[in-house]
Amino acid sequence: MRAVRLLVLAGGGALCAGSAVALFHVDQPSIIQKRGIVEFTAAFVGIAIGVLVWELRPESRTGPLLAAYFIAAPLSEGSWIFWNHQLPVTVAFALEFVAGPIFAHLILSYPTGRLTSRLDRAFVTFGYVYALAYALPRLLFFDPRMPHFRDVETCWNCALPYTHISWRNVDGIRSVFDWLLLPLVLIFLALLVRKLVRSSPGGRRVVLPLSLAAFFVGVQFVLQIALYGSPANSWTSTRWFWVVTLASLAIPVSLAAGMLWGRRARSAAADLVVELEHAPPGSVRDALARTLADPSLELALWLPEQRCFVDGDGRPVELPTSGSGRAVTVLGASDAPVAALVHDPVLLERRALLTAAGAAARFALENERLQAQLRLQLEEVRASRARIVQAGDEERRRLERDLHDGAQQRLLGLGMALQLARSQLVPSANGADELLAEAETELRAALDELRELARGIHPAILTEQGLPAAVRSLAERSSVPVTIVGLPEQRLGEPVEAAAYFLVSESLANVAKYAQASTVRVCVAKRNGHALVDVEDDGVGGADPGRGSGLRGLADRVHALDGTLTVDSRAGAGTRIHAEIPCGS
Amino acid sequence: MRVVVADDSVLLREGVARLLADEGLDVTAKVSSAPELLEQVEANAPDVAVVDIRMPPTHTDEGLAAAEAIRRRWPRVGVLVLSQYVETEYALRLLDGGEERCGYLLKDRVLDSGQLAEAVRRIGGGGVVVDPELVARLVGKSRTQSPLQELTPREREVLALMAEGLTDRGISERLFVAPKTVETHIRHIFTKLGLPESAADNKRVHAVLTYLRA
Repeated sequence: MRAVRLLVLAGGGALCAGSAVALFHVDQPSIIQKRGIVEFTAAFVGIAIGVLVWELRPESRTGPLLAAYFIAAPLSEGSWIFWNHQLPVTVAFALEFVAGPIFAHLILSYPTGRLTSRLDRAFVTFGYVYALAYALPRLLFFDPRMPHFRDVETCWNCALPYTHISWRNVDGIRSVFDWLLLPLVLIFLALLVRKLVRSSPGGRRVVLPLSLAAFFVGVQFVLQIALYGSPANSWTSTRWFWVVTLASLAIPVSLAAGMLWGRRARSAAADLVVELEHAPPGSVRDALARTLADPSLELALWLPEQRCFVDGDGRPVELPTSGSGRAVTVLGASDAPVAALVHDPVLLERRALLTAAGAAARFALENERLQAQLRLQLEEVRASRARIVQAGDEERRRLERDLHDGAQQRLLGLGMALQLARSQLVPSANGADELLAEAETELRAALDELRELARGIHPAILTEQGLPAAVRSLAERSSVPVTIVGLPEQRLGEPVEAAAYFLVSESLANVAKYAQASTVRVCVAKRNGHALVDVEDDGVGGADPGRGSGLRGLADRVHALDGTLTVDSRAGAGTRIHAEIPCGS
Repeated sequence: MRVVVADDSVLLREGVARLLADEGLDVTAKVSSAPELLEQVEANAPDVAVVDIRMPPTHTDEGLAAAEAIRRRWPRVGVLVLSQYVETEYALRLLDGGEERCGYLLKDRVLDSGQLAEAVRRIGGGGVVVDPELVARLVGKSRTQSPLQELTPREREVLALMAEGLTDRGISERLFVAPKTVETHIRHIFTKLGLPESAADNKRVHAVLTYLRA
């Protein structure tokens, strides 16, 4: 393909140079010769840019179209006249107006070079047919040596095309074609506006410079027809010459601007590798969005175990389907994807860049995916831990209720029966009275123990009266004097209250057992959506949170609620237990 | 004295009713839930309602809520709440509704029919009853620096009986001392503890319990 491109470049160069050189062998005013040189130079620049675009973006047809346009351009607008030979004159006659439809094709299909809308395709096709129809009368009947009003200079020794049959005055039919140009250009402008409106934000940014240039060209064309009646007549106006030349140069220049954007992104793809090396986890999306210049970029990571795409937080995401205005590029092997990029469809035209960026981000994405997987698992573990604690609480409550409604009631019933039996006895019936009294004493002891057991399992007062009442009740029972510094006024939610309660309860038990303290301070407060629990004693300290199942269990309980527990217990400095548990706002 | 017994456990309901009847009280109705209890009170206006704290449908503190409702709507009806929980909170909640015709006893007291019947009679007579075990715990509670330590053993005894809801006369009968002596003790206690004199009148039990609990 490179050979073809070089051939096109060389051929285009030869055409332009040949046309310029030919200018000096015909008898033409010097102003025409000078303009010709400017025009052919501009055409060559255009051809060169076209070939360059072709080289850099082989997947796009924009390059060949651009080159074709600038090859066709010097062949139109009467330039043929300077090539006084049958072959070039035939070719020039045939292609005289083909630059127009090529131009429409180029602009409407940019940047892919492929027309997507049916309307665009119909318009461009019509343009090509129109151009050929326009050429036919000249090919067959036009003789520049005969007098005609359209071209000011009459060429007496000009060559005729191979296809010339006989002279006919074709000015009339050509005028009709000329006037048809105006609506065609207007339709073109309308299609251009439609293309801009319909394109995605990213696509619009790419298309805009060229579209503005094309708009400029189109509008100057309309003005030209409005001012002079026919495009061919403009050849006489110096001002219009420069406007036309500038307009035609605006096309390759704006294309080059579009290319510059592409070049920047491409070098950014290389920078991406370096950037990701130092990127903190979770920033791969941002880096990719910058590299691909698509702020709307979304990253979906593939989890092979769950067989689904998830976002950075591990939540499953649905990839958009075609026709939703978003495009999806899956990175990695099709049977074992790593991630998917959900992006602006305009990026599909830059598949090479997408692939390069995807490859560059591969390791970082693998990393990110592992993290998403971990987060998902962590979330599951966290949820199940919370459920276990909650289920445990539920079970404790049920046990307490069963004891209360079952064993305790039965024992009381038994006690009453004993009492009744005793009242029925005749005095000192073989010592049975004493035996019954003894049984009653035992029964009372059993009831006391059972009551404390039930309370230890789950105090009813916590569920019914809330944390403050339950903590005050704990303080009443503590064998070490307790000072309650503060208690929350509002309820904190059942799991949090249970955790806070058992934390205080277990801590007070520990103080009584080990701390040799003279006083304990207890404080429960709600601040910034967290329940803060503090139990502080003035005892010997030296408690080891790693030892003993009591503190361990408390830490687990607090962690299950996403909270933190710290134990500060240096020897001789007392023990301070501090927990923070999120409890909503 | 007409008594209504409310307990969702048949065993205890019947047992308590029988014990009270044996003690010479007139048990006019036995019910198993709070709404039934309120109906009975409304219809028959008993002197005292003996209520289990935990009853259907939620098995939490309906009994207490029903007791509070009765005290609000029928102030002449006394309420004795029986509970398996030794919780000051519940006793105070009951006393919040006024310091007469009410009591909070541990359910274990049904094992001593004399004590139970006496409590019902005291409440029917306008008095207050707080379970001795609860009071004993409050009095015996460990404290750092407290004016309680300045009380004489006798004064402590008087304080506990006050907390149990006994009147001056009740205390003097219990301790076999002259009412005048009891008054002196009580004045000393109030001074030593720094309790306001006004608390002595109609909010005495509440004030003492709150003091002991702190």
